Amino acid sequence: MAAEIDIHAHDDSHPTEKQYWVVFVVLAVLTAVEVAWSYMGLEGVALVAPLIIMMVVKFLLVAGVFMHLYFDTKILHGRLFWWTFVAAIILAVAVYFTVFATFEFGI
Amino acid sequence: MADTTTDIADDIVDDAMGSTHDLTNDDHNDHGGDHGEDHGHGPHLSLGLSNMKLAMWLFLGSECLLFGALISTYLLSKVNFLQELVAGNPYVVGTIGGEIEVEMIAQNSVEPMFDIPFTSASSFVLLMSSLTMVLAHKAVLEGDYRNSRVWLAATALLGSVFIGGQVYEFTAFYREGLTYTGNLFGSAFYTLTGFHGLHVTGGIVMLAALLILSSRGKLQADRAETVELVGLYWHFVDIVWVLIFTIVYLIP
Repeated sequence: MAAEIDIHAHDDSHPTEKQYWVVFVVLAVLTAVEVAWSYMGLEGVALVAPLIIMMVVKFLLVAGVFMHLYFDTKILHGRLFWWTFVAAIILAVAVYFTVFATFEFGI
Repeated sequence: MADTTTDIADDIVDDAMGSTHDLTNDDHNDHGGDHGEDHGHGPHLSLGLSNMKLAMWLFLGSECLLFGALISTYLLSKVNFLQELVAGNPYVVGTIGGEIEVEMIAQNSVEPMFDIPFTSASSFVLLMSSLTMVLAHKAVLEGDYRNSRVWLAATALLGSVFIGGQVYEFTAFYREGLTYTGNLFGSAFYTLTGFHGLHVTGGIVMLAALLILSSRGKLQADRAETVELVGLYWHFVDIVWVLIFTIVYLIP
């Protein structure tokens, strides 16, 4: 019965062609801004932080829209798979930062 | 002889896809409803995904670990490389060419080696290939097979252009003195970007296979999930490049 409920909960709505084009334009613009930003002569956090933010936005746009991750599955009245994915990414980043910290501080 | 070989290959593909189709129908019947197979997708089980799609996501999860490790290794090796370069370590300095080495020491970076405008164009090409990939999937879903072949071919072509660019870039770096075995930085850089290039090449082979299936009329709307699975792989490769482009090329 639970499986039946889950099947009914499935939402297979995919983005429209227009949405795909909009996402592509956003990705292209973000890439152009990234490159321009890297040529502005900034250093340290002022240079790296915006680049990382734009990279993460591009990552999420491709995963969420092109890979249908945001549209594919609605389970338990929410996007369980999507949020599991986001949580896993956060966990992975935390693990790699810990590894870098280990190298940096010789813990 | 060639025809016989082709027929055997066709039979194998048909059997494999037919088996998958049968399995999906069996699973579907087990759930006692007709909601499992819409738009060419497999059964949607308790996780809300078809088994094939879930398997692809698990595979991509393992790929995340692979590329995560390669990117981490690259970053660590780059830091060590630059520290030793600035310190004038004769082994590190001796493994790269004179003029470029002076520039790298002066800027405390590996930037002089990278051709950012060229790599930006490559990134744009790969992003565009992701768009053509989703359009190919959409065309198959809608039964527009002619356009689906056009978009699949465009995706493969754009991927090939990207690979051509990478080969050109590797050749240029090699001529400037950055070799695979010369120092740790070179090894980490070529391993990371080379693995990505291999993945793109694998994707091009998959796209070519889809094109062949489609041209023989064996890629109909009821098998759209096959295109979606290849699309997932292709977009993942694109995502990895989004990370590599920023982390390797843009952040000094």
